[in-house]
Amino acid sequence: MSLRVLNPNAEVLNKSAALHMNINAAKGLQDVLKTNLGPKGTIKMLVGGAGDIKLTKDGNTLLKEMQIQNPTAIMIARTAVAQDDTSGDGTTSTVLFIGELMKQAERCIDEGTHPRFLVDGFDVAKRATLEFLEKFKTPVIMGDEPDREILKMIARTTLRTKLYEGLADQLTDIVVNAVLCIRKPDEPIDLFMVEIMHMRHKFDVDTRLVEGLVLDHGSRHPDMKRRAENCYILTCNVSLEYEKSEINAGFFYSSADQREKMVSAERRQVDERVKRIIELKNKVCAGSDKNFVVINQKGIDPPSLDLLSRAGIIALRRAKRRNMERLVLACGGEAVNSVDDLTEDCLGWAGLVYEHVLGEEKYTFVENVKNPRSCTILIKGPNDHTIAQIKDAVRDGLRSVKNTVEDEAVVLGAGAFEVAAKKHLIDNVKKTVKGRAQLGVEAFAEALLVIPKTLAQNSGLDTQDVIVSLQNEHDRGLVVGLNHHSGEPIDPQMEGIFDNYSVKRQIINSGPIISSQLLLVDEVIRAGRNMRKPT
Amino acid sequence: MREVVTVQVGGFANYVGSHFWNFQDELLGLADDPGADPVFKTAALDMDVLYRSGETHQGVPTFCPRLVSVGPRGSLGSLSSSGNLGQSSAAADQINVVTWSGNVTRSVSKPHGRNLFLQSLVEEAQSPSTSNDGNNSLKNVEDKNLIECLENGVNFWTDYSKVQYHPQSLYELHGSWTDFDKFDNYGSAQQVVSEWSQIEEMNERLRFFVEECDHIQGIQFIVDDSGGFSSVAAQFLENIADDYTNTPVLLYCVRDPVTLGSSRNQRESITRSLHDAVSFSKLSSFCNLMVPIGPPSLSRSYMSPFLHIQDEKPFHSSAICAAAIHSVTVPFRLQRMGPSSDLAHSSGYLDIGELVHLLSDQGRQNMVTTLDVAMPAPSLTDRDAMGNIVMKLHSLTPEISDQDEDPYSVESLVVHGALDRGGQRTSISQVKDSICSAYEGRETKPKFSHLAVSLCPLPIPLPFPSIFRSNIGRHGEILSNHPEGAQPKGSLDIESIPMVTRLRSSSVILPFIERRSGSLQKHGVARGAIGSQVLRDWGFGREEVEDMGEHLAKLLLPFHPEMDLTSDSD
Ligand SMILES: Nc1ncnc2c1ncn2[C@@H]1O[C@H](COP(=O)(O)OP(=O)(O)OP(=O)(O)O)[C@@H](O)[C@H]1O
Ligand SMILES: [Mg+2]
Repeated sequence: MSLRVLNPNAEVLNKSAALHMNINAAKGLQDVLKTNLGPKGTIKMLVGGAGDIKLTKDGNTLLKEMQIQNPTAIMIARTAVAQDDTSGDGTTSTVLFIGELMKQAERCIDEGTHPRFLVDGFDVAKRATLEFLEKFKTPVIMGDEPDREILKMIARTTLRTKLYEGLADQLTDIVVNAVLCIRKPDEPIDLFMVEIMHMRHKFDVDTRLVEGLVLDHGSRHPDMKRRAENCYILTCNVSLEYEKSEINAGFFYSSADQREKMVSAERRQVDERVKRIIELKNKVCAGSDKNFVVINQKGIDPPSLDLLSRAGIIALRRAKRRNMERLVLACGGEAVNSVDDLTEDCLGWAGLVYEHVLGEEKYTFVENVKNPRSCTILIKGPNDHTIAQIKDAVRDGLRSVKNTVEDEAVVLGAGAFEVAAKKHLIDNVKKTVKGRAQLGVEAFAEALLVIPKTLAQNSGLDTQDVIVSLQNEHDRGLVVGLNHHSGEPIDPQMEGIFDNYSVKRQIINSGPIISSQLLLVDEVIRAGRNMRKPT
Repeated sequence: MREVVTVQVGGFANYVGSHFWNFQDELLGLADDPGADPVFKTAALDMDVLYRSGETHQGVPTFCPRLVSVGPRGSLGSLSSSGNLGQSSAAADQINVVTWSGNVTRSVSKPHGRNLFLQSLVEEAQSPSTSNDGNNSLKNVEDKNLIECLENGVNFWTDYSKVQYHPQSLYELHGSWTDFDKFDNYGSAQQVVSEWSQIEEMNERLRFFVEECDHIQGIQFIVDDSGGFSSVAAQFLENIADDYTNTPVLLYCVRDPVTLGSSRNQRESITRSLHDAVSFSKLSSFCNLMVPIGPPSLSRSYMSPFLHIQDEKPFHSSAICAAAIHSVTVPFRLQRMGPSSDLAHSSGYLDIGELVHLLSDQGRQNMVTTLDVAMPAPSLTDRDAMGNIVMKLHSLTPEISDQDEDPYSVESLVVHGALDRGGQRTSISQVKDSICSAYEGRETKPKFSHLAVSLCPLPIPLPFPSIFRSNIGRHGEILSNHPEGAQPKGSLDIESIPMVTRLRSSSVILPFIERRSGSLQKHGVARGAIGSQVLRDWGFGREEVEDMGEHLAKLLLPFHPEMDLTSDSD
């Protein structure tokens, strides 16, 4: 560490210098992310040295784009990004909270408090806050028919922190419906079953939910139909291309004739498989206006495409592995690994299959399915950076709905929780702690306020006024948050501003852990060294 | 036509790739240029094997490499990841944000300056008409400056690339704040790829190119295996093996000679040798044929009588690897004919699958091959050279044995653009005859040798480094009387080069494998080994280390004398 080099002999001084370096790093990161927070935050456009553009309003994406070198800052960034990986939200809040814990700690340390006491206080406060959260959260009952309204509110709150209101509201129903579509009772929600697909489109920004699947490829045969209704869907993973089987791959053909024979024998095997598929098609479609679509994970070569096309079948090759699963969930049937397993029961169903071509890009829509358990969110945008940003927002929205369904609870937002928790810590918890650890509890309580303070600041309001009026209301027993237009207290419940329970929980949990490590400098230096060593 | 998709992973691999695609781009240009040597048209290689036709969003037709290139973020220099040169970042203020009505802050990095060469490309694209006519001597002076600017400083592989890449081709790996300069061992990259679903994105890029192939013959994969990118590549290869089960993968492991510098201490040298062992074990288990390339020094190699290579410049050393790899791909792009029939311009078509089969399933059943090259190829009708064409081949594969008498060896020899003593192109049958008689004279003959011949030499594009000594002539002929000690020649003096390359599966590779197998045993597996902690830090459990050891032992099996060599005959 460079500090050693600066002052190699002064162990004590070294320690306090390292401590301050940690504090500064945390504050520095906080400064960068601060303006991001909330519905009035700032969006950031990052332009790289070769003109690549990245657009982000999201702490997670911003952190990943940053070239962070300071090991302390990297540690904080990792914690925040891990927050996003597990719960999908709250990255910015995590960084702000850690920064503020360090700031509050700094004040106490400068006044002579040993970091140890603060860390002890943090620990008490953390546990008390988590308990408080249990009481504070708003339970949501998720029966067979989940409460759509609450899901919409949470999705809207999240989306409006990433996209302007009109656009956010357009997406609200989409993300709620997408999650409800893939939800299976009593099973964790697998968001991978929502495909997010994008298209470049000249001017407009437009997103829609496709109940079914959109694939980013089309058929590769000129004569295949581009549109078909009432389709049986065969999802398979069967090679329909000529390839040398390992043993027969003779290199030393004694004659051209022998080679020809070998080739045609192998060709026959492939043709045989194709014929089995065509037989099934003829069987199920005979005498009706029904159609037949093959979506294959393996390759299909031109002779096979030709046979299929002549039989009136639409065939797609090299589908994404994950789409095999999605197709079955969307259309029904089951994925087939060998033509020997082909039966009518394997087939899925879609009311409409059609191809959409944009320059060299092709898309296949599999729509009007019966009972979809997988769906696609199709994002159209004018350029890559806009699409990418909307995609990030959609992911956040999906996560917030999933979390709500799984948490069976939400938490009042707009700073309401933080103000309430602070009050609880000061009024009820602080006095249960002996000695200087009280300072730690106090610092923790004060640090919670960074959320409402920053929300106020980003809205261009006077931070102190806002905090005072919020606390007054809470003292009167009213749970309020801040109105980001006026700064006046509002009831988040009435306004429908909710945050995820699991997200809040994780912020409160991880913030003090990392701050404590950074405060107990010895461990930090060791941690710093560990950082450079891959784990 | 059967398509090849190319993958490049890691710093030096992209340096090599950049030269490789410059050769292809040059071939495309020469085939269309009425002023060029007609051999580039008459003996043209099939470019559709490596390239795809498409169109831009504006409907402009494009012809781009079927390529996925993976490199660390920031390694593209002034090329944007969509493959475009020269979007100006100054225009950021004018870009509207359509998704947010609140505040916007713009943070604009200092634009990467374009060097003279790239500037000239942009200018040419803007006013293409001036390139051919006009003042020739002025053009010459300008070209000299361009070449000089590349000799004086190449910082990114994109600095000397003249190729238009597809928007799906260039993938920048984000490193979770990893310092890519310290990305120097297998462990350092273990998590990077799986994090943030980067591997899925890489898979998707590849699928884009594979899906549109009607008859993919294989994937050629170039990896810089000197550091963390080995692990990135291994994970990518594992996915490829899963997704494209029957598509053969030809893997080239390339290294910048400089990365082979001596280790500072024992721990470092153990880490190095464990890295080599682990990456060799992992990479070889997910490909069908492996070609290690990267001699410790090219400047002091057998090539030095003809080539003046500065080892410290990756721009130089990568050019040699690229030339050799280009030659290896020649047979994949010849016209397919029956084994006995002859064409005037080429003979010996071989696809990747057949090459793999030839080298790894015959003879010793060993899948690690050496790559040997003669650059430039000696004149084949030269009575002296004829007998020892094989002697003129120099290996680019490191750590091999110099005992090269192996009766079980199998090889694929490629000769293209060969010249006779008078500097005339040697006909296909002349080449065949002289190779045959060369072998006739040898005591130990390879068990099998495949010969592919094309008249088409290696073209030397403008941004090729000036590495030819003064004894090399305009068409790569070796001059007998030439000025001593003159400046090295470059693309202005040399148009093309005849080449011979050979992939060979033989016992010369034995020390290479033994060394890796040995160091894994010694430092990693043996009880109380110093390296076992290193391996644990890289995320390998005991069992996995043992598996790797076993895999390496299996690679050695074909060379054990007690092995029953008859069992491989079917
Ligand atoms: N309409 C609103 N009025 C006031 N506060 C709001 C409103 N909507 C959301 N918030 C608050 O904004 C905060 C969330 O902001 P934001 O989503 O920008 O940051 P984050 O979730 O911490 O991090 P990120 O989303 O970047 O990972 C929460 O504290 C939430 O209560
Ligand atoms: Mg958020």
